[in-house]
Amino acid sequence: MRTYPLWAKLLGYGVFCLVLLAVPLFISDDYLLNKFARYLVFGIVALALSISWGYAGILNLGQAVSFGLGSYCMAMALKLRTIPIQTGAEGLPDFMVWNNVKSLPWFWVPFHSYAFAIAAGVLVPVILAFLLGSFVFRARVTGVYVAIITLALLVVVNLVIIDRQRYTGGFNGLTDLEPLELFGVTFDPYAVATYYLIAISLAVALFLGLAVVHSKTGLVMQAIRADETRVRYFGYDVAAYQTFALCLSAGIAGFAGMLYTLVMAFASPTFLAVPISLSIVIWCAVGGRTSLLGSALGAIVVTGVQGSLSDTPAFLETWTLIMGVLFIVVVLFLPRGLISLIDLVPFGRRTDATPARAARRGRVSVR
Amino acid sequence: MIDVFNQIFSGLSIASILLLISLGLAIIYGTVGVINLAHGEFVMLGAYAVWFLESQFGLGLYPCLVLSFFIVGALGWLVERLVIRRLYGRVLDTILATWGLGVILQQAVRLSAGAELRYVKMPEKLSQAVSVFGIDVSSYRLFVLGIAILLLAVTYLLIFRTAFGMRLRGVVQNPEIARCFGVNTSQIYALTFAYGAGLAGVAGALVSPLKSVSPDMGTGYVVDAFMVVVVGGVQSLLGTVASAGILGELSGGLAYLSNDTIAKALVFLGVVVLIRFRPQGLFALRVRRG
Amino acid sequence: MAILEMRDITVEFSGFVAVSGLSLGVQQGELRCLIGPNGAGKTTALDVICGKTRPASGHVMFDGADITQMEEHHIARLGVGRKFQVPSVFRELTVRQNLEVALSRSPGVIGNLFRFSRSSAAEQLDKLAELVGLDEALDAAAGTLAHGQVQWLEIALLVAQDARLILMDEPTAGMTAHETQKTAELFMRLKGRHTLIVVEHDMAFIKEISDVISVMHQGRLLAEGTVPEIEANEQVRAAYLGSGGISGA
Repeated sequence: MRTYPLWAKLLGYGVFCLVLLAVPLFISDDYLLNKFARYLVFGIVALALSISWGYAGILNLGQAVSFGLGSYCMAMALKLRTIPIQTGAEGLPDFMVWNNVKSLPWFWVPFHSYAFAIAAGVLVPVILAFLLGSFVFRARVTGVYVAIITLALLVVVNLVIIDRQRYTGGFNGLTDLEPLELFGVTFDPYAVATYYLIAISLAVALFLGLAVVHSKTGLVMQAIRADETRVRYFGYDVAAYQTFALCLSAGIAGFAGMLYTLVMAFASPTFLAVPISLSIVIWCAVGGRTSLLGSALGAIVVTGVQGSLSDTPAFLETWTLIMGVLFIVVVLFLPRGLISLIDLVPFGRRTDATPARAARRGRVSVR
Repeated sequence: MIDVFNQIFSGLSIASILLLISLGLAIIYGTVGVINLAHGEFVMLGAYAVWFLESQFGLGLYPCLVLSFFIVGALGWLVERLVIRRLYGRVLDTILATWGLGVILQQAVRLSAGAELRYVKMPEKLSQAVSVFGIDVSSYRLFVLGIAILLLAVTYLLIFRTAFGMRLRGVVQNPEIARCFGVNTSQIYALTFAYGAGLAGVAGALVSPLKSVSPDMGTGYVVDAFMVVVVGGVQSLLGTVASAGILGELSGGLAYLSNDTIAKALVFLGVVVLIRFRPQGLFALRVRRG
Repeated sequence: MAILEMRDITVEFSGFVAVSGLSLGVQQGELRCLIGPNGAGKTTALDVICGKTRPASGHVMFDGADITQMEEHHIARLGVGRKFQVPSVFRELTVRQNLEVALSRSPGVIGNLFRFSRSSAAEQLDKLAELVGLDEALDAAAGTLAHGQVQWLEIALLVAQDARLILMDEPTAGMTAHETQKTAELFMRLKGRHTLIVVEHDMAFIKEISDVISVMHQGRLLAEGTVPEIEANEQVRAAYLGSGGISGA
């Protein structure tokens, strides 16, 4: 294991972001750009999980709840703007008309405003995470039980959305959406603007995350991951830190969900189902859960390969199989993910050197 | 009155399936200390074993029940040897590794048997309804209930009345001490894991005529089974039974009042609240460390 | 004035009484040694003070405040620090990061978001690390340290935490004679500014550092006094009977 000076990290992150922003210069195929944008969205949601899981040690198996809720918030706003042909009388969304809903439900009404929808896309997941965190961490529920609770909640939210078809579109989700129009720019799924929006969001999320994990708060989060009990005796409110990590992660995932609606042009209950939640965990683990960039790259590479194979279904199926094997191998032998292979490059300071060795290399002892 | 009986029986039927699928999981978690998220895939494999044996060799359900136990059990043994044994003491990592294992098994089945739904025939004699206490009940569901009780009894005897069970209980209480007394703990773990997997196989075989068989059928089961184990409390066979009963009747009752989906959501919500206030489960005396 | 006062503390673990009716007062700036045979309830007494264990009855007063029912982090914020019997440091973090965590004067989540390691703190950390001889291991993961070094690191964490009352559970366990000697010197420096309660078995160490010794036996306070007084105490001799007297404990 090595630690790298901050400037090296910033440089690495910066180069990565510049590469992302340069992509449209070399790719003019809208379809391909749309695909890339999708991978980047997954990168954002994976780095969000890295904050709560990799740094604070909270294995949230329900990360897709935040992602999906964000996606629905955006989709609701876009649905309400859809041209009248696809809506019923008084602008009622089509699926509500088919389900005999007579008037717009109260919780749909504020989504006429983009500002509200965008705020809700972040705040709804954050508030949910806050409630969950206060509920669970105050009682000092840890480890496995947190994983089971988050998994159960994921299933509950998913079931409710599917069941309340009249208000949520059920299995079909929310389809036929207008593209988002903001400040005169249309964020069509295949537009370059959408790609830039997503690439910039990923860059901002990366640097925001980096700032957080390098702050004292981030350090305490890592201490909690290492030994939760010990941290308490230094006067830190462990539950507050855990709840914060969960909320931050949820907020970023919610934002990623909104972006996902933009690139997919629909929202579906599969966005917050068990398989995608599992995928997020896999991306994080494979890339390296204790590295924000590693997690994001994990998601981008895995989904990228998956995407490039999707034209040949047989390969895709095999790829999923390979992913499963890779995942197990990483869990067994490479707990810090593929990004930790970077340690093979002789740069930065080793932290697992024995102090004696460190001393030999380091300054001359005064005593 | 008939309604009430109907309701109780339908709950009992759900409970018997819950018990079948969670029994193996409870044993694996309670003794080996591994959260096996591939348990649902073991159930799925049991169902596929029946489908395969039936369509290829024309075997009936009864021999398939036995065979699926051994097939899935052998696979469980292999999995323990290859993967699980490297993860003892890393509970969270077992969640991840077994989840990955689930993906592999699902995908392997999808690639070899195809993604389409498969159907398994119900034995002729069990496909009619019989009258019990004046209500018509499906005889197959009665059969499932019977097998569930039978397997429970066998498991109980295995744990509390055999030399293997004694060693197993020793290992659960204190692996180091058990090792000092010459118990081969690694063998016990492997066999227990295999037994738990075998039970999942039987469960899969039993549900196969009731539902369509598909590669992703296990996902729902594993979550259900988990809730049962958590509510019942780890290391409590009786707890698992009681909890399967409670959750089964609760799901049945709530489904009667609203619908299946909402019932399930409510039950899970209840489980979440329960974990918050009693993480050791309703019936457990002590909690496994770590 | 007593900075810490335990009044009639009783602790039960599902029927087993670990501490019964313990009353103990410690003066500001004092270094109090707590000794007793195995199972006397010493560690449990420390657990009650720092909030790890809730007593069935009785009260703990710290600096005039009743801390009996407070959560651990509130007690810690009031100025109580704890070193555990099994050394517990953050093994995955470097020595420097460990010390930074221990510098916990402002424990809020939001405030700490805007706090990054600064050079002023770095200087303080260097001094601390030098104090305990870990200045060359600052960037090593704590998990790679030798046992004695881990003990030192945890002591350094408590100094960094700057707690007014420091609870030490067997700080010299596993240390060489030389290391123990250095620990004794450090404790002598700490006392006065900090108040210390030290649970120890090593009588030579205790004789060197202590003013007053409290002896616990079967969950009760058996005796209290200076080293010669305790050594002469018949009851204490009887309690240690079979384990070779307190000096052989």
